[in-house]
Amino acid sequence: MTRYIMTADLRRCIGCQTCTAACRQTNATPPGVQWRQVLDIESGEFPDVHRSFVPVGCQHCGDPPCLHVCPTTATYQRDDGLVEVDYDKCIGCGYCAVACPYQARHITHRVAFAYGGEPMASESARFDARRMSVATKCTFCMDRIDAARENGQTPGVDPEVTPACVNSCIAGVLSFGDREDPNSNVSQLLSATQHFRMHEELGTDPGFYYIWDKK
Amino acid sequence: MAAEVRKVPQYCYQCVAGPDLLTVKVEDGVATEVEPNFAAANVHPGAGKCCVKAYGLIQKTYSPNRLASPMKRSNPNKGRNEDPGFVAISWDEAFEIIGAKMKEIRAKGLKNEEGYPRAAASFGGGGIPTYYMGTFPAFLSAWGPVDFSFGSGQGVSCTHSEHLYGELWHRAFTVCPDTPSCNYVLSFGANVEASGGVVGAWRHGVARERGMKRVQFEPHLSITGAASAEWVPIKPKTDAAFLFSLIHVLLHEMPREALDLHFLKQHTGSPYLIGPNGFYLRDPETRKPLLWDLTRRAAVAFDTPDSDPALEGSFTVDALEIGADGQEWRHRGLICETGFGKLITRIKAYTPDWAEKTCDIKSGTVRRIAAEYVAHAQVGATVEIDGETLPYRPVSIQFGRTVNNGWGAYECCWARTLLACLIGGLEVPGGTLGTTVRLNRPATTRQASVKINEDGFMYYPMNPTDKAHWKASPAVRNAHATMVPLSANSPWSTALGPTHFSWMFQKESPENWPRVTPPDIWFCYRTNPSISFWDTKEIVKRIAEFPFIVAFAYSYDETNHMADILLPECTDFESTQLIRIGGSKFIEQFWDHEGFALRQPAVKPQGDTRDFTEIATELAVRAGLLEKYNEAINRGAAGVSLNNGKYDFALDTKQRHAVDTIWDRACRAASAELSEGREDDGLAWYKEHGLRTRPISRLSWYLFPELKKQGIRFEMPFQERLYRVGLELGNRLHEQGIKWWDVQLEEYGGLPTVMDFPGIWEKETIKQAGAGALKDYPFWLITSRSMQYAWGSNVGIQLMDEVADNLRGHKGVVINSQKARELGIEAGDLLEIHSYVGTTQGPAVLSQGIRSDTLLMMGQFDHWATPYAKDMKAPSMNSLIPMSMALTDSTGSAADLVRAGIRRVRA
Repeated sequence: MTRYIMTADLRRCIGCQTCTAACRQTNATPPGVQWRQVLDIESGEFPDVHRSFVPVGCQHCGDPPCLHVCPTTATYQRDDGLVEVDYDKCIGCGYCAVACPYQARHITHRVAFAYGGEPMASESARFDARRMSVATKCTFCMDRIDAARENGQTPGVDPEVTPACVNSCIAGVLSFGDREDPNSNVSQLLSATQHFRMHEELGTDPGFYYIWDKK
Repeated sequence: MAAEVRKVPQYCYQCVAGPDLLTVKVEDGVATEVEPNFAAANVHPGAGKCCVKAYGLIQKTYSPNRLASPMKRSNPNKGRNEDPGFVAISWDEAFEIIGAKMKEIRAKGLKNEEGYPRAAASFGGGGIPTYYMGTFPAFLSAWGPVDFSFGSGQGVSCTHSEHLYGELWHRAFTVCPDTPSCNYVLSFGANVEASGGVVGAWRHGVARERGMKRVQFEPHLSITGAASAEWVPIKPKTDAAFLFSLIHVLLHEMPREALDLHFLKQHTGSPYLIGPNGFYLRDPETRKPLLWDLTRRAAVAFDTPDSDPALEGSFTVDALEIGADGQEWRHRGLICETGFGKLITRIKAYTPDWAEKTCDIKSGTVRRIAAEYVAHAQVGATVEIDGETLPYRPVSIQFGRTVNNGWGAYECCWARTLLACLIGGLEVPGGTLGTTVRLNRPATTRQASVKINEDGFMYYPMNPTDKAHWKASPAVRNAHATMVPLSANSPWSTALGPTHFSWMFQKESPENWPRVTPPDIWFCYRTNPSISFWDTKEIVKRIAEFPFIVAFAYSYDETNHMADILLPECTDFESTQLIRIGGSKFIEQFWDHEGFALRQPAVKPQGDTRDFTEIATELAVRAGLLEKYNEAINRGAAGVSLNNGKYDFALDTKQRHAVDTIWDRACRAASAELSEGREDDGLAWYKEHGLRTRPISRLSWYLFPELKKQGIRFEMPFQERLYRVGLELGNRLHEQGIKWWDVQLEEYGGLPTVMDFPGIWEKETIKQAGAGALKDYPFWLITSRSMQYAWGSNVGIQLMDEVADNLRGHKGVVINSQKARELGIEAGDLLEIHSYVGTTQGPAVLSQGIRSDTLLMMGQFDHWATPYAKDMKAPSMNSLIPMSMALTDSTGSAADLVRAGIRRVRA
């Protein structure tokens, strides 16, 4: 079995949003729709203040709440752990967006471009009408994972088949790989570090691990 | 699915922390996606990644706000409130107009009646635009004298004092830790996680993971503070006080053995003997500085072999003392002490208790930090680099803007360099390093610029201050060579002078100063001083007085609003240029390789835009300068010499050459340079491969081996040379009846003192706004680096706006939450922020991560002409900062700092 997961080393993250921009571009999401985002979180009181940068997005849960509430089976789970949306089945009801504890789903009802009503050439080239009024979210760059199946490359190792956010990360925060493979980069990383998963107590079995210190 | 998909290698050099190497995906002729250049991962110190700004380049390419053809102004009146009435014209008409103007100017003479160049040019900071302007530098070279002194933010918005003193003391235009092997960093306002680019982020990320501790001193919790082990919220402009207090602890509270005594004795000027007039005591015959040799129990010349110099003590000597303007004193039986001894006395008053009152930091913290600094230094440790054994001192101190520019910056830079020397950590593995040279020459490597002077320190190309050679009549409008000896005489020196003088003196010359007149023609590119300088309202008025402006323009903006001709050039993915990569460069760019990378047309140009090299060639033809222009390219104006004796790819200087021909020759020369003449791969090879590199030794990162080889000492702690230069400069100015630089002259001294630096701003506020003004302006207003925008000229890019909004504070004014509550201010309330210069407005952003006496504005976005940006409705502190002689230090820099008040406009 394969379970693709992502890890974020919070010791390294600086909130630069390079992953956000790379994701926006690679997945051609419209303005304001960020499948990958880095939160800027402040805690404590002056002068004992902490500021943390936390990458968020779809956690590709092992037990995804979005899947359970989907009335049309548009949301589905693959055998490699990816949680995806079949745009042809989605009716944009928004149940999944409400159910997702990670606020990872987006529904866009109005066509929008970077500079007003007309698309630029780069936007025209990538515009996908199927994404209107349906739920969209991070796919872990599913097309690349699928390509890996075809060409034998390893997601998380070979950049051609690695999610764009991971490829783009300038501080080495994000990693991607197969949790079920004990020799994978992410398995090695998790075995050497202390980490947590967001809202794990909800029983979602998230596929996104936050590393915060060495063991 | 696209029929044709290509990935085209490019570089992005939107900020000095680059260049970043990337590929752009082109689908059926349309650029759609930026990615790191994975092929560069093994040679690039940031794993071949590219920064967030690079991802905006696709929107930049296709933005509807781009200018699609040349434009000319139809309204002769200029000013913010004048509609330029730009109308589209052909390239031929544009060149006709510019060509006629250039010929008219050249017929009159290249300098005007006041002796200033009739032509001026301004480009964005850090030399970035050079790598987008093709062969335009060759055109400027062919033209003759050009005034580059109209700054667009230099001095106030750069790490100015670090540039000048860094180059003097350790060939360090900028300074950084040896991050890959450093374990402990004291960072004063250095926002390297935002300003260090990909390489900075990568190196520091790795260092944090392996346990490097960074302590961040700054009034607000920046990105870098957030990623640090500890945040110390220091009061603005008191960094020098804290650093002096650290020195106090090392010298007065720790045993001497905690220091690297060998380094101080053998590799610094610490043992040099000081005379009663503040100059070195010298051998009367050889005129060499003296030190006290403990072995011979006698004063000997500094370079006497096998001497064991005394660091401290009282000694009786016969000696010569040489002062300013050749003044000499002959001493016999003089009782004297060393520079190190003078230092100990000077630093005695700066106790941790004193620092606590000055900096608002507990004295215990000062002592703890000092102890940690020394403990981490591992004095005595060594490491082997490429077969050479070097000291290993894994501690460093790093500065950011407002700390290392303006009043107090000299003292900070001196203290930082001294603290490195005290533990032997200057220019050695793990320690505090310079990155590159821009003032010293040759600029090929830092080591190449090192040569010994007569006193045993590094030679420095100081502008002359002696009576025979001082330049009483400035050659350019900011008078850098006249007023700032340290600004030196390289092509970069003009930008390292007081660049605001050009603007200030155009309005009103100070007493006994020649009239300053506008240039007859001003070229500007990738610069927007109407937004980025200080007192921007005033800058707009001065620009409006310029009679003829040629702006290379991507879109309308607040500076080209006053232009006569707009020339839209092909942008990043549409044009060709070669750039040097590798070696060591600004901020954190330390490579184990060096070479070249290409930027190339990946897509067809949008609109009727032209490659900058094509524009430059046409301008050269129209000005009658083609031959000189080609000669300049052959000499290396396109980034690489086309003929260096070992190879010859020189252009026929009489012919006009196509863009691809010029860059093909440059590529061939680059290949030959990297292969010692064995290979000559040209443009086609670079288009396919993107970059070419060769490995270099990591020893090139460190200056210490070169100094040791040449027997050169670091010029620390005593500053005899600066003291003499300052006295001579004062003499020259006073001979001209100039007294308005007297306060700045006081900064030149043998050993610095800590003044009430915040008080300089407070006194000026009171002077300008009246007694009691500090109540009206109770806050310190500061700024902080934004990775998404810094240097990028990308304020009109929607994607940057969107992703920057994920971070706190880009479009508002950050205020302490508790303070806001006291004032009845809630998050999002619209505030007016005012200084005695102007006002700006923006929403309140409440944060616990800022001192209660401080406000922060990250972005400077009060645009009124730039499309998209003008609708941001965000504040800018640039409209609030005075352009002021009183706030200018002796190097000609000020700081992004002003006293400000706030008023709630509406909830």
